[in-house]
Amino acid sequence: MKKAIHYINQFFAGVGGEDKAHFEPELREGKVGPGLALDSVLDAEITHTVICGDNFMGEKTDEAVSRIIDMLKSLEFDIFLAGPAFQAGRYGVACGTIAKAVQEEFGVPVVSSMHIENPGVEMFKKDLYILKGGASAAQTKKDTAAMANVANKLLQGEAVGTAEAEGYFPRGIREQVFLEEPVSAARRGVDMLIKKLAGEPFETELPIPAKDMVDIAPPIKDLSKARIAIVNTGGIVPVDNPDRIQSASATRWGRYDISEMDRLQSGEYKTIHAGFDPAAADADPNVIVPLDVMKEMEKEGVYGSLHPYFYSTVGTGTTQAEAERMGKEMLEKLQEDEVDGVILVST
Amino acid sequence: MKLQIGNFHVKDVVFGEQTAFENGILTINKEEAIAFIKEDTHITFADIEIAKPGEDVRIVPVKEAAEPRARVDGRTLFPGVTGELAPCGEGELHALKGVSVLGVGKHWGSFGDGLVDMSGEGQKYTLFGSLINVCLVIDDDVEEERHEQQKKNRAIRWATHLFAEYLGKTVLEQTPDEVETYELPPVLHRGPEVERLPSVVLVMQPQSQMEEMGYNDLVYGWDLNHFVPTFMHPNEVLDGALISGSFMPASSKWATYDMQNFPIIKELYKEHGKTLNFLGVIMSNLNVSLEQKERSAIFVAQIAKSLGADGAIVTEEGYGNPDADYIRCIVALEDVGVKVVGISNECTGRDGASQPLVVLDEKADALVSTGNVSTLIELPAAGKVIGELESLGRDGLSGGWAGDEILGPSVREDGSIIMENNAMFCGDQIAGWSVKTMKEF
Repeated sequence: MKKAIHYINQFFAGVGGEDKAHFEPELREGKVGPGLALDSVLDAEITHTVICGDNFMGEKTDEAVSRIIDMLKSLEFDIFLAGPAFQAGRYGVACGTIAKAVQEEFGVPVVSSMHIENPGVEMFKKDLYILKGGASAAQTKKDTAAMANVANKLLQGEAVGTAEAEGYFPRGIREQVFLEEPVSAARRGVDMLIKKLAGEPFETELPIPAKDMVDIAPPIKDLSKARIAIVNTGGIVPVDNPDRIQSASATRWGRYDISEMDRLQSGEYKTIHAGFDPAAADADPNVIVPLDVMKEMEKEGVYGSLHPYFYSTVGTGTTQAEAERMGKEMLEKLQEDEVDGVILVST
Repeated sequence: MKLQIGNFHVKDVVFGEQTAFENGILTINKEEAIAFIKEDTHITFADIEIAKPGEDVRIVPVKEAAEPRARVDGRTLFPGVTGELAPCGEGELHALKGVSVLGVGKHWGSFGDGLVDMSGEGQKYTLFGSLINVCLVIDDDVEEERHEQQKKNRAIRWATHLFAEYLGKTVLEQTPDEVETYELPPVLHRGPEVERLPSVVLVMQPQSQMEEMGYNDLVYGWDLNHFVPTFMHPNEVLDGALISGSFMPASSKWATYDMQNFPIIKELYKEHGKTLNFLGVIMSNLNVSLEQKERSAIFVAQIAKSLGADGAIVTEEGYGNPDADYIRCIVALEDVGVKVVGISNECTGRDGASQPLVVLDEKADALVSTGNVSTLIELPAAGKVIGELESLGRDGLSGGWAGDEILGPSVREDGSIIMENNAMFCGDQIAGWSVKTMKEF
């Protein structure tokens, strides 16, 4: 019998609710809570369950991940399952975080399940199989069955079908398939055209994601009084990267005080962006965050004043949803300081 | 314009005393046939091999395919190519069905050449795996392109066209098993019953991106690189006005066989007078510079609008750079109010994670996908190879490689192969045969 390890949070382990959300990682033998339903339909035995409080995972992520990885090192297992997390946001992110880490560390397949509105979906759907789950624990039986269906194929080394057929969130992979009921491309095209001409619904075989166009802001009327901020997606951070912004597929951002300096010094600031050769930016971080020029122009009175922080994240591989969230979070800080304009440097 | 294609269903192809078609059997006198092929003095070696579906045979490097046909009125099969110019699209053709003539290199492959398997896992990847293939295995004296990745392959391609006509002539005097009729009256004289239907055009973008002459698809023998879009009758395409070139990665290619049988044209004909008014074909092309791409899109949109087209199908013979022509043309048509469906393949990479087309636009909201050029395909050794297996890895075929640090060579010592779909001969069947699509995983 193959072996599985299951990850759940403090709530589904019966430890407690919000008051126990700081519960530290714990390894228990056997199955716990939703693990019973999962085990009953899985072609593997859940030998151990990892339990961790959602806040502990959210706030001390590195520690939580490394402690759990250490716990698993002495165990043999063929698959790692996390959740289902339903619509519980912190739990979904926790499931994605630990599943991705386990997959990378141990090279075993990982499977989770979340509701479409769970933020863990957008963050981790490209990294692992996340089944489209229900909103609440009332769906436990259905969601664990869907997880087991994919997990069992992975355990048997069988090909996992399309996202549509298996019910997981598309992982950003498109591949050719031979149609089970063969209809020629010519026929499909003509049928699609007939429907389109008749104003009837039709289904494109290559959906093109809608562009989220943002209107260009009106110009600042009087630049000499304007407060300006610098934001960049080129990954310029203090050399110790205090906010642990990821080098690609970023979900974190930081802001750094520049009120007491006239330029960013090499050796104090660097780029952590993995999408280009960092040599030039490490040698002179001002090529991405142009603090030097901005300070000069401030003194010359070209514009009113410089916002005392610059903001940083990494653009490469970052999802549109994450970028939008981070942008909105930055905007709150900028609006608090009544910033009139932003220079957004991309790389 | 009325074209009648008389079909003769071929059950088998064999070598024998006399080149003739009788009781469903096509017999070829090999010696005479080779002598005919070698009338081109550039051909230094020619052999003919027959490959049938189900046989443990692999064919590579395949350069061209044509359906054996002849025109009853005696005009040449591919005007401007195999003989003097004459209008296409009207009259009678006789066609041998279930058979194709394949132009195969005896040794040397080139970028746009492909592979055909006649059985096993590999058979499904090409249309030609399900046809009886009369393989012309040829070497030529064109030393200057021997070791070039891009080859015009002129001798082999022309031999294919000429031999298709040579075989087609066996049925000139016979009565076909059935006759397909393709008839479209002038656009303005179709009567109220037809004219009340939504009117549509097919926009074809054949491959024409080589600036040097000799590689591109030809229309009436004219290089489509030196061309601006024009309105054509679909019968002209079915009747040999177009021939395929020697440049595009094989899976994205339309062979001449595809043009003679263009499935999208045939499906539009089926709907003509029932659900659609099929106006005809706007023949466009594929270009290199942005200005050229824009110019062709302007021509296409104007012709469609002036004809009063309500809808269009746009299809490109290619992927990658030509996606810019494809999407630009779709957008130009949508912008003048023509509703468009696009038919093409995608390039999502070996991991399936890349952007599917080089250019995307939200206005391209109705697309048919026929395959992924970069899908990795691994196939066991075949019992027999027609051509030269090493060409797949050695000669720069778009889907083969000499060595790869992870995957090893395309052609292994035991004869098994690993390749990208790119080198499957006309594998994505963009002309419309494809029963593949693309799905999210």
